[in-house]
Formats: sequence, structure tokens, C-alpha cells
Amino acid sequence: MIKLVGVTKNYQIDEETVFYALRDANLEIKDREFISIIGPSGSGKSTLMHLIGLLDKPTKGEIIIQDEKISHLSDDKISSLRNEFVGFVFQQFNLIPKLSVLENIVLPTVYSRKRINYDPEEKAIDYLKRFGLYEKRNSFPNKISGGQQQRVAILRALIMEPKLILADEPTGNLDSKTGKEIMDLLKELNEKEKITIIVVTHEVDIAAYGKRIIRVKDGRIEK
Amino acid sequence: MEYFLFIFKSALEDFKRSKMQTFLTSLGIVIGVFAVIMLMALGLGLKKYISDQFEALGKNTLFIAPGQLLQGGGFGTSSILGTRFDVKDLQRLQRVRDLTAIAPLASKSGRGKGTIKTDYVNIFFSSSDFFDIAGFTVGQGRLFDKTDLDKKAKVLVAGPKIAEKLYGTALQAVGKKISIDNVNFTIIGIIKSKGGGGFGGPDYDSYFFGPYTTGFIYNPEKQFIRFAVKTNPDVNLSTVKEEIKKQMLKRYKEDDFSIVEPTEILSIVNSIFGIMNVVLVAIASISLLVGGIGIMNIMYVTVSDKTREVGIRRAIGARKTDILLQFLIEAIALSIIGGSLGLGLAFVGVLLVHNFFPAYIDLVSVVLALGVSSLIGIIFGVLPARKAANLEPVEAIRYE
Repeated sequence: MIKLVGVTKNYQIDEETVFYALRDANLEIKDREFISIIGPSGSGKSTLMHLIGLLDKPTKGEIIIQDEKISHLSDDKISSLRNEFVGFVFQQFNLIPKLSVLENIVLPTVYSRKRINYDPEEKAIDYLKRFGLYEKRNSFPNKISGGQQQRVAILRALIMEPKLILADEPTGNLDSKTGKEIMDLLKELNEKEKITIIVVTHEVDIAAYGKRIIRVKDGRIEK
Repeated sequence: MEYFLFIFKSALEDFKRSKMQTFLTSLGIVIGVFAVIMLMALGLGLKKYISDQFEALGKNTLFIAPGQLLQGGGFGTSSILGTRFDVKDLQRLQRVRDLTAIAPLASKSGRGKGTIKTDYVNIFFSSSDFFDIAGFTVGQGRLFDKTDLDKKAKVLVAGPKIAEKLYGTALQAVGKKISIDNVNFTIIGIIKSKGGGGFGGPDYDSYFFGPYTTGFIYNPEKQFIRFAVKTNPDVNLSTVKEEIKKQMLKRYKEDDFSIVEPTEILSIVNSIFGIMNVVLVAIASISLLVGGIGIMNIMYVTVSDKTREVGIRRAIGARKTDILLQFLIEAIALSIIGGSLGLGLAFVGVLLVHNFFPAYIDLVSVVLALGVSSLIGIIFGVLPARKAANLEPVEAIRYE
């Protein structure tokens, strides 16, 4: 599904210093995998996730998504891939504060150029009922708990029926009980909905949810 | 469509949350649009007032004036410098068959002594045809007639404003004496108010009118500043013009007199006011420019406030154009809100001055106000919007 071939990401700090966030990363992710990327902060795991999620472009190397080299794709095409192919879940939830829960969930469909064969709002309401958040549909993000916000973020990631969900420290801002609930939810999505899940974390017990664990240290993927 | 509604809704919701900021930001546009529309309204009103004045003269009116009245698209050297007409010219005009009314005009200014007040007054001396040509009707008393002209009667007809000023009410002035530069006149009547005055044309309500034969007291050379004539409506105007010209050429050279139609004067007045209005509106537009810069400034602030939001939207699939449109629509909405407020204010302004100034707002002004304000939104919104669209997604989403 996704292949990284010799991917390097570096930043020119000043004329002499170059900072390597990621060096020569090779990785293949297959359909329906549940992968944990683990590493200490500053190890390059977030950079790796941003690259896989097409939020960032490699300095060197190639990312191949469904047999397409992304270096050949236009910015609009990459935006469409982010819209249809990937769903993001962030540590800070990253809901849009001035939009209600329901509006946040349907937001990706507003940007979609793909024909959607369902009513986004109906689908969102359906999800909200399943997640026990129906009562909160018209609330604004700052009026609901962190666990609820993260669930809304997951629903937003699900609305376009993506093949892949990328979660960057999804439990980082939650207590351990709520964190476990979120992880169980991701596990369920992987098993029942057959969605590929990649979780980036620095916590070993969160990483343990993964069927495959990739360790990143000092900008390198450890074999 | 739904997409645009969504973006528009987002922009408006932002405004709801910060009404004061929205208002202050668009204030520049409010003032600019108000100034431009108000000036246009005043210009339009003035133009309409003047053309109404000339239209009242009717289609079959001509002016005969000494010198070249209309020259090179403007007013040439007229009666002030050139020769003056006299009684001989009047007699010549009377020989032109197709003139139905002839009004020679002489004027006199002096101190008029009424019962309440003594004031500086203006008199037009003319024939009884004058009332017909100028479209005056009697309000109180009577107008002077041929008998008064033949008898050189010392009678005057007053405009209602001056009568009120000197005698308290128009009615009280009728039959009263007035002394103007030591000549005593009797006021025999008051004309019905023509309204307005003070802009462009003379305010006839503040004039006196007397028989031209009597006016020779002040004017021993028996001269006139111009003639106003009415032509037979069944005869082509240019034919009559030729007839008059033939008569006048017997005495004058071609350049010494001019025969003009009120519409010719009107078109010159219009072009003068047109230019004046363009200049005034151009000056007022500077405030629109300042308003636009205000919007650009606040839009840059908004973009940096919403950097993270841009990152989130990009992460879930928004394209650069989506982000560009979002901020552009916000800027346009901001400036249209300003434009509408300015337009509303101008409406109120026009209502306020309506009683003493014939200003009005036409559809063109409304379309212009909204068109110009959306244009300002686009022009001054596009740079901040582009900045937002070109943010790197990964950097935007990490922005604190």
C-alpha cells in the first residue's frame, strides 16, 4: 500500500549545519496492518508520520502510494489523497474551534472532489449515535472533554472512508483510562473495518497494540 | 454551491464573534463608500435641478445674447464684455414672423426699502411675455401687462421670498410701495414660488420683475443684456434661428451675437458638473483606498491567527485554492459589509438634506458602491489569502 524508498528529510539550519530529521528510511506498509512507530521525542518519528501522511515532502528518496510515486503528483492531487486516502488523528485533537462537533466531522467531505454516495450529515449522525456523542452534536470542541474531542477527531478521520488512519500520539493528552478506550477503538477499526492503522507513540504499552513495531532513533529506522 | 455557502457561513460566524473588530475594520470602507455615494447623490441632484430649470423653459425657447455665448464647449466671453442690445434690436426681433413671445432683459440691483426691512434687491426688467417664457404664474395680486408697459408704470411683481423678507408675508406686500435707489414703485403682485434656487440658476423667488419701459429710468441708453424668445411650435426651430440671424446680421457681425437653445446650455452645464463630480469622487476614493489597506492589515492578522486552522484544513484535504477562497471571501464579505453600511448611511444623509437640496441616489450608485467594495475586498484580500494558501501544511499544523 505504501512504500518508502531511501527517504531522507533534512533541514538547512544555517550555511554550515544540516539537521537530518530522517535518514535513508526504507519501509513498506501493507493493507490492514496495525503498526506502531515508537521512539523518544526528537527521534524523527513525527517526521516519518508526516511523510507517510503526505503532509511533508522528502528531501531525497521516494514515497510510493498505491503504485504512484508522489514526487510526480501535483499539490492538488496530494491534497486529494490526504482527503480520501488518509485520516489523521493528532495528539492535540486539532478540531476547528469555531465549528460544531457535527460540522467538524463533515468538514473533509466539503473539500472532497470525489463523488460521495452517502449523505455526509446522516453518516456523521449515525457515527455520533454509535459513539454515544449524539447529544453533543451541536456543541463546540471547547465544551466537551478531551476523550470526546479525540473521538470526534476519529470520526472526522473516518467520514471519507479512508484506507489508512495515522494517529500521532493519540493518547498523549488523555488519562490512561480514556487513552485505552481510544486505542481499543483504533484496534476495532483495524479488525472490523479493515483500515490500516499507524500509531506514533513514545509509550511502550501503547505501542504494544501494534502487530508490528517500528523503532525510530536519531532519525533512523532500527532494523 | 454548498461549498461556497459553507465558506461564507464560516466567514460570517467569525464576524458574529467579534462584532466590534468587524465594525472597526470595515469603518474605512463605510466612510469611503458614504463619501463617494453622497457626493454622487449631490451631483446627480444638482444636475437634475438644473436640467429641470431649463426644461421648464420649454422646447421652443431661444436666447439671443451679445458676443459668443458658447465657445469651444464652454461659456465664451458673454455680455459682460461685449456689446449690449438696445431697443432697435427689439424692433428687429418683432419683425421675425415666427416668434410668439419676446422678452428683452435688463437688470438692476439696488437697496430696496420695505416696511420691515431694507435689503439689497435685484430687479429683472422685461416684457409681459417674460412670465410666459419663464413659466411664472401669479400667486397674489396681478402680473404687469401691456398697458403697464405702454404707460411706463412704476409697478413691480415680487418673488415670494423677497416679499416675505421685506414685508413679513407675501400677502402684505401686495399694494405696498417700495423705493429702490430713490425711485418709488408699487408692488402689484407676487409670483407663485418656483422653489429651490441658489444652485446654478438664479433664485427667482428673491427677484423683483418690472416693465422694461419703466426700467429705462435706470438705463437711459435703453440697453438689454439679452433676449429670450418663444417660437411658433409649428415651425422648425432652425428655420426661426436663421430668420433671427438674418435680422441681426443687418446690424452686427456674425461673432457679435449668439442664438442658443436652452438644451445647448444644459449640455455644457452638464459637462461642467460631470467633470466637477468626477474630481470630487476621485478625492473621496482616497478614503476607500485607506479602507482597503485597513482590510488588508486585519486579514494578515487573521491569517497568522488561523495558521493552525489552515494546517488542519490542509491535513484533511483542503487544496490551496480552497484556503485562498476562504480568506478571499472573508475579505470580500468584510468590505461588502462596510460598503452596505456606507450605502445605508448615504441613504440617511440624502434623506436629511432632501428638504433643502435635491440629492438622490440612483441604481448606478448602489451597484457601484457594492461593486467597488467587493473589488476592494478582492484587491486587498488576495495577498493575505495567498499567504495563507501557500503555508506549508506540516509547519502550519505545528504552529502554536
